[in-house]
Amino acid sequence: MHNGSGLIIENAGKTFRAGGRDPRVALEGVSLHLPPGRVGVLLGPSGCGKSTLLRMVAGLEEPTTGALSLNGRPVTGPGRDRGMVFQSYTSFPWLTVRQNVAYGLKITGDSSSLREGAVEHFIQAVRLEDVADAYPHELSGGMRQRVAIARTLANHPELLLMDEPFGALDPETRWQMQELLLGIVRKERTTVLLVSHDIEEALYLGDVVFFLSSHPGRLREVIRPDFKKEVPAGDREALLDHPQYRRLDMHIRRLMSEEGTTRASPVAEAADRG
Amino acid sequence: MTASLRDSITTGDAPARPPAPALKRRWLDFGQHLDWRRRVLLGLTGWLLFVFGWYLAAHAGLASERLFPGPVAVMRALTDLFVEQGFLGDVLSSIRRILISFSLAVAIALPLGLLMGAFARIDGLLNPLLGAFRYLPAPAFIPLLLMWLGTGDSQKIALLLIGVVFFLAIMLADVTRQVPAAFIETAKTLGGGRRVVLWTVVFRHSLPGYLDTCRQMLAVSWTYLVIAEIVAATDGIGAMMMRAKRFVHVDDIMAGIVTIGLLGLAFDALFRLVYRWRFPYLRGEHQR
Ligand SMILES: Nc1ncnc2c1ncn2[C@@H]1O[C@H](COP(=O)(O)OP(=O)(O)OP(=O)(O)O)[C@@H](O)[C@H]1O
Ligand SMILES: [Mg+2]
Repeated sequence: MHNGSGLIIENAGKTFRAGGRDPRVALEGVSLHLPPGRVGVLLGPSGCGKSTLLRMVAGLEEPTTGALSLNGRPVTGPGRDRGMVFQSYTSFPWLTVRQNVAYGLKITGDSSSLREGAVEHFIQAVRLEDVADAYPHELSGGMRQRVAIARTLANHPELLLMDEPFGALDPETRWQMQELLLGIVRKERTTVLLVSHDIEEALYLGDVVFFLSSHPGRLREVIRPDFKKEVPAGDREALLDHPQYRRLDMHIRRLMSEEGTTRASPVAEAADRG
Repeated sequence: MTASLRDSITTGDAPARPPAPALKRRWLDFGQHLDWRRRVLLGLTGWLLFVFGWYLAAHAGLASERLFPGPVAVMRALTDLFVEQGFLGDVLSSIRRILISFSLAVAIALPLGLLMGAFARIDGLLNPLLGAFRYLPAPAFIPLLLMWLGTGDSQKIALLLIGVVFFLAIMLADVTRQVPAAFIETAKTLGGGRRVVLWTVVFRHSLPGYLDTCRQMLAVSWTYLVIAEIVAATDGIGAMMMRAKRFVHVDDIMAGIVTIGLLGLAFDALFRLVYRWRFPYLRGEHQR
């Protein structure tokens, strides 16, 4: 099912034109390829267009230039093949956890998945079986985000999109969630494109890290932490201790601070406006 | 690594502390939640204070008993109306008019409000139109309605409908617009088409707000009811009050007012009940 060419983004650009104001170039000439079954991470300074790019892949934002395709099919709008987990908690408050997880299968009329127990399977995968009949307002933030993840995965998307899914969580929960996600993704062989602004998260989760620069957002560097093959999958401490990890971490930090200084410098700001 | 770090921080006996003092409670504070017993008690207190003030005012000799009867006289008149003058029939006619006209209003305003709130083009088309109609005073239509529909029930129901339907449509549209875009986008990325998103997200999210809006507008309906029944009506609470005015039965008029108040209270309670029963997931968020 997931064989195909994966996600291909060619020369994607986005210019926001709000009435009366100057057009704002959010993204320019971004091309990238994410093979099936891989985890790609979009990393970059705030405002560089990560969310915009992700929303373009989801079909929620129309690209101004360029084209996107998933497994050979061009992106023309939102669809079940590209599930999205938003940063804000979007579990529907009027549905219980179980109903939330079943929502996608219900509306798409996927009765075979419903019969085969996909809902219970993913509720267990995110370890929410104890609160399956609770409403989201009775859950913690991390639990609500797990509902959203289970709901999206139960729908069997070819590509899982996540916009800073663990950004609002405390470090402990965030680690747990990252491990959980990695476990599920390895098992289900889902392709994932995830936005992050956390270097550790990017290197821990990502098979490939796309570093974007800002003003306008461009793909600055593609980082492949290939050394991860040498450490046991999911072993965070072994990963953090690896010399290559430290090297990449330093490298990305340098990229980030370069982006930071170019944006903070008054000259660049003036040039921006002029 | 992290576990050992945490251990080294939290180990070591904590010094014995004096028992924590209870939080200071205040009679009035922000974000207080009351159980139903306290609510009923407070509500009754408000009523008792009002009736007591009324009693004092009526018996202070400011006006004659005939023009400004006290609560006891009005209660007597009320029993009298029900027992001897068949007031129950009037009340039922009024309730019937309210229910028919309000159901019609909802049946018209709800689809309009839903579509206006969901789709900017439909809102662009209808909002200026309905918005203007909203400003027309409904009683101004009475002469027209009398000519078109005569003096029967349909004229009264039409007046009630006109008085409420435009407000209702605009307010329901406002409620519909509150749906967070992220919910709609989530449903779309889960494979929901336009119709599915409209019903399972936009409509469903708005339901509690719709119920609330209907509750408010039903109160407005009662206002128009009295206006409708004062003009050429043979039955209904308003008609009874007009008859009483002819014979200067102020106690009967006041009994009519009290009846409307009590009916309003009953409908309000009904709405609250439905709200709590249908929307259990809102219980934590804001209590009504
Ligand atoms: N709807 C919009 N209208 C106008 N400008 C927008 C809109 N959405 C985004 N932008 C602009 O596009 C740029 C990129 O925004 P985007 O949200 O994609 O950044 P981001 O990389 O996700 O940032 P963050 O890490 O803070 O979430 C920003 O400069 C932002 O102001
Ligand atoms: Mg963002």
